[in-house]
Amino acid sequence: MTNYLDALSVLLLVSAFILMGNKRTGSYIKTFQFQSALVALLTGIIGINSFAEEGRVDVLIIGAIVVGIKVLFIPYLLKKTYAKVAYRVEKDFFLNIPLLIIICCFIVVFCYYVLSETAGINTGIINNQMVNSVSLILIGLFFMISRKKAIGQIVGFLVIENGIFVTALFAIQGMPFIVDIGILMDILVAVIIMGMMVFRIDEKFGSINVDKIKDLRG
Amino acid sequence: MGYVLLTVPILAVVLFFASKTKQHQHVISVAASVIMVIAAGVLTGEILQGDFVEYVAWGWFFRMDALSVIVMDIVVIIGLMTSVFSVGYLENEIRHGKLTTDRMRVYYSLMYAFIFTMLLALTVKNIGIMWIAIEATTLASAFLVGFYNGKEAIEAAWKYIIICSVGIAIALLGIIFLQFSSLTVLDSSQFLDWPAMIDHATELQGPTLRLAFIFILVGFGTKAGLAPMHTWLPDAHSQAPSPISTLMSGVLLNGAMYGIIRIVAIVNRSFGNSEFVGRILIAVGILSVVTAAVFIFSQKDYKRLLAYSSIEHMGIIAIAIGFFTPLSVFGGLLHMINHSFTKSMLFLATGNILQKYNTREISKISGLFKMLPVTGVVFLLGLFAIGGTPPFSVFASEIVVISAIFQEQNFFVGGLLILLLAIIFTGLVVTLFKMFYGKDIPKEIVPGEQNIPGVVVIAGLLGMITVMGLFIPDELRTLIDQAVKIVIGG
Repeated sequence: MTNYLDALSVLLLVSAFILMGNKRTGSYIKTFQFQSALVALLTGIIGINSFAEEGRVDVLIIGAIVVGIKVLFIPYLLKKTYAKVAYRVEKDFFLNIPLLIIICCFIVVFCYYVLSETAGINTGIINNQMVNSVSLILIGLFFMISRKKAIGQIVGFLVIENGIFVTALFAIQGMPFIVDIGILMDILVAVIIMGMMVFRIDEKFGSINVDKIKDLRG
Repeated sequence: MGYVLLTVPILAVVLFFASKTKQHQHVISVAASVIMVIAAGVLTGEILQGDFVEYVAWGWFFRMDALSVIVMDIVVIIGLMTSVFSVGYLENEIRHGKLTTDRMRVYYSLMYAFIFTMLLALTVKNIGIMWIAIEATTLASAFLVGFYNGKEAIEAAWKYIIICSVGIAIALLGIIFLQFSSLTVLDSSQFLDWPAMIDHATELQGPTLRLAFIFILVGFGTKAGLAPMHTWLPDAHSQAPSPISTLMSGVLLNGAMYGIIRIVAIVNRSFGNSEFVGRILIAVGILSVVTAAVFIFSQKDYKRLLAYSSIEHMGIIAIAIGFFTPLSVFGGLLHMINHSFTKSMLFLATGNILQKYNTREISKISGLFKMLPVTGVVFLLGLFAIGGTPPFSVFASEIVVISAIFQEQNFFVGGLLILLLAIIFTGLVVTLFKMFYGKDIPKEIVPGEQNIPGVVVIAGLLGMITVMGLFIPDELRTLIDQAVKIVIGG
C-alpha cells in the first residue's frame, strides 16, 4: 500500500516536471489530463483501502467525481476553448525551458528543507509523500507565472488544486466528504468562468497573452 | 430565522429568472433585502439573549455567535442599501442605453448569489465549508466586476478571478495544515470545526499551526486586500458597477477579515500569547497603510482612490487584531463596522457622480456641488469621515485603536500610524478637492439629481455614521463585547 502511494507521489512530481517542459498549449493540457488521472488513481487506491478496512465508500465516490471532472470534463473544456482562440502559434514562455526545470528542482529542495524542519510534520522520518505534493503546489504556482497564455494560467491553477487535493490525501487522509465535494464544485465553476473570460479577453485584446493585458496600473 | 436568512437570497435568484418585467425585478430585490434585514435583526436579538444560535440538525451549516452576527448585520444592511440604490441606478443605465432588462436580470441574480455566498461563509462552523463559500464569493462576483464588458473591465475581472482563486487555494493548503495539527486531538466528526478547535486549542501541534496560519493569512489576506496581495483590489473596485464596488468594499473584505480573525483566535489560544501572530499582522497592516498612503497621491480615478482607502482601513483592522488586547480588538471590530458604512456611502455616491459625468477621471470633474447638490455634499463629508475627522464614526474607532496601541506602550507603531493617517487625509483632500468647485462644466450636463432612491440612501447613511460617531448604542456595545470575548477568550 505505502509503496504504491510513494510511487504515485513521485509520478505526480514527474508529471509536474513534464508540464514545465511542455512547449505548446495542447501538450500541457494533455499533461494535466495525465496528472489528473494519477490523482484519480491515487484516490481510488486509498478509497479501496478504506472500503476494505472500514467499509467507507466516500473516498471512492470522490475518486469517481475526480475522474468525471478533472480527467474528462475540464481537459475537454480547455481543448475546446483553445481550439476557438488559437489562430497563431506564439512563443509561450518568458524563460527558456532548461532554466525553468532547474528552478523547479530548487523548489523541490526548498520544500524538502522546510518540511523536514517543521517538527510536527517530520516525526523522525521525513514524509516524502508530503514533500512531493507540496512541491507540486509550488511548481503549479511557478507554472502560472512562467507562461504567457491565459490558458496556461488556468492549467497552473488546476495543478495547484491537484497538489492541494493530494496533500490533503497524504497528510490527513482526505478532507471531510462534504468539503471535498464543495471544493470540486468550486473548481468546476471556476474553470467554466475562466474559460468564458478567455473568450472575452480574446475578443477585446485580439490575443490571449497575459503580458498584453496591462492597462490597469498603480 | 436562520432558515429564512439563507433561503431568501436563493429564492430571489430563482424569482429573478421567472420575472418578466424590470419592475418585478426591483420589487423582488428590495423585498428580499428587507426580509433578510428583519431575519438578521431577530437573530441578533437571539444572540444578545444567549451566547450563540446553533441548529444541530443542520450539522456544520449553522452556528452563529456575536462575531459572525456583527459581520452578518453589516452584510444585510449594506445589501438593503445597495438594492434600494440599484433601483435608481439601473433605471438610469437603461435610460442611457447601457443596459437591457435581460442584463439587469443577470446583475440582480449574481448580486443575490454573491450575498448568499457571503451569508453562508458567516453561518457555517466548519472552516472547510467557510473556505468553499469564500471561494464561491469570488466566482459569483467575477462577472459582476466585468459587467460592462469593456477592455479594462475584462482585465480587472481576469485579474480578480485569477489572483483571488490562487490566493484562496493557498488558504486551503493552510486549512489542510490546520487539520493536520489537530489530527491526534479531534475525532473525525469534529474536523475543521472551529468551536471544537477553540476548545482543544492548547493541544494542537505548534509548528504545524504556525505554517497553517501563514498560509491562511496569505490566502484570506488576498481576499481581504491586505498588501502586498492587494493588487486585484483597485482594479476590481474601480471597474465594477458602483453598487457592486459598494458590496465588495463594504461586505466582501469584511468576510475575508472574519476568516482571519477566527484563525487568529485559534492560534493565539494555542500559543497562549499573541507574539507570533501579532508581529505578522502588524507588519502586514502597516504595509497596507503605507501602500495606500503612497498610491492615493498619484490617483487619477476617484473610484480607484477609494479602493486604496479600503486597503488602508483593512490594514488598520489587521493592526488592531494584531495587538490582541480587549480594547484593540474592540476598536478593530468597531472600525470594521464604521468603515463599511462610510465606504459604502462613498461608493454609492460615486455611482451618482459617474452617471452624471460619465467619467472616472478626477480632472474631468468640476462643480460637483452645483451639479449634484446632495451627492456632492455627502461625498465631501464622506471624504472627511473616511479620512478620520470628528464627529464621524471612523474617527471614533480609529481613536480607540490608536489609544489601545499606546496603552501597549508601542509608541513606534502608534506614532507611525498617526503620521500615515495624516498623510492619507492630506492625499484625499489634495487629490479630490478640485472636483467640488469650478465653473468649466460641460454644457450638455444638466444639473440635478437623477437617482432619487439613491440620494435618500446616501443621506440616510450619512446620518447613520454621524450618529455612530457620537455614541454607540448599548446593544451594539454588548454585541462587540461578546465578540471580543469570543476572540480573546476568558
